[in-house]
Amino acid sequence: MAQARIHSRSDDAREARIGGAARVRGRIHGDGALIVEGHVEGDVAIAGELTVLAGASIEGDSVEAESATIGGSLEGDVVAKGPVRLVAGARVRGNLRGSAVSIEEGARFSGRLDCEFDLPQELTDAAHAEERGRAGARR
Amino acid sequence: MPPTPKNAGAPGRGANARMTETFMASTVIGAGITIEGEITTDEDVVVAGTVRGKVTAKEAVTIEAGATVEADVSGGSLAIAGSLTGNVTAVERVDLQSGSRVIGNVKAARVTIADGAQFKGNVDMDV
Amino acid sequence: MATDVSIIGQSARVHGRVVGTADVEVLGFVDGGVAVTGSVTVGVHAMVGAGIQGRRVVVRGAVRGDLVGSEAVVVEEGARVVGDVRAPSVAIAPGALVRGFVQAGEPDQAPLARAAEGARAVSTPAVAARVAAKSQAAAPVATTPRAAAAHPPQARATNTAVAAAASPARPQGARPATAVPARHPPAVAATPPASAPRHPPPPIVPALKKSRGQMAKRRER
Repeated sequence: MAQARIHSRSDDAREARIGGAARVRGRIHGDGALIVEGHVEGDVAIAGELTVLAGASIEGDSVEAESATIGGSLEGDVVAKGPVRLVAGARVRGNLRGSAVSIEEGARFSGRLDCEFDLPQELTDAAHAEERGRAGARR
Repeated sequence: MPPTPKNAGAPGRGANARMTETFMASTVIGAGITIEGEITTDEDVVVAGTVRGKVTAKEAVTIEAGATVEADVSGGSLAIAGSLTGNVTAVERVDLQSGSRVIGNVKAARVTIADGAQFKGNVDMDV
Repeated sequence: MATDVSIIGQSARVHGRVVGTADVEVLGFVDGGVAVTGSVTVGVHAMVGAGIQGRRVVVRGAVRGDLVGSEAVVVEEGARVVGDVRAPSVAIAPGALVRGFVQAGEPDQAPLARAAEGARAVSTPAVAARVAAKSQAAAPVATTPRAAAAHPPQARATNTAVAAAASPARPQGARPATAVPARHPPAVAATPPASAPRHPPPPIVPALKKSRGQMAKRRER
């Protein structure tokens, strides 16, 4: 099984670009940023910023990056250390995780957002009381 | 019926409340809205819609004409122009205005029942 | 006299539901949820303990429940939402905190017009399970936000492989820690013909030149 390896050297964080006419089948991983204008079928794991332009597509299971801005199609779970942004025109299916996940009006999305945070105490207290009741009913 | 002076401007509060959320807005239950449950507030309440449950306010409660309240209501003062079924308790006064229809007991230091008000229940002014 | 916007004041607490046909602004606390045909605004300091349904739902405060808008849902910066979000148009601002399933736009249209997704879904059970766990096209709008055990009917499960793989995926979604069960059975968008053509293949990067048969073998691993 061959993999597409698009490396950016870590001391020269050049960005890699997949042009509009390119179609990549395979896993992409690297240290730098990645701009996708074409079509990628496979997982992506980069240390830099990922940009998926309008008209581009990524289809994989897992897309990992420092941060991500998606304007095209993406299917797969996105995990970023930094922000994940879906801009208008994006069509995304998969779960999103990042430090700040935002979805612009006009983006299409179907999936989970999993931000780590706590609700105010007052709402969680009510939640716990209800969970206990429901758990009892289930058993 | 025009709202009591304490609630003057309440109908217009919607826009104000939206623009500045910093001041304590009063509670307004508009005509198309139903509350199923209990309302508790430190401030005043205007009901033009429907409440089924209980209303407890520290300040004035206004039940406008057209409102339907099936609840026990207690407040600083009460002005009723609509329909209320339940017990009514006020610290200061309860005013049943013309056109109101109240079924329940009323307890307050002062009670007025206007001409044209329909009322069935006990009145307790013994504070 | 009759107000257009109802307001649950900042110091008001409603132990119960707010329903109706008008617009509602929640500035205080409502523990039983809101279901109106008008717009709903949840203020910065407001808290709502159950789901919110409206034409246009704007949340700036804290909500523990699903947000369902017949037109739009807007979650603004500083908002905290634990629950699903569903509307034809969804905007989640950077700085808004959301934990739950989000459906923005029509649920029955796959983001990628690729027939392969459907075809692949039946290729192996392992792949089907992955697609099932990952793809979460929403079922019809649920009316009870906290019906954890309820599974809305699968309107569009078109092949049994995906449906069978869906069963193990469901319980793992019903996490007791939050009131947000992932109760969305996977649905393949339409029955894609297995041989539906993709875009005509542009020049493939020479190092990766592969035949499609090899590609299929790779996927099946």
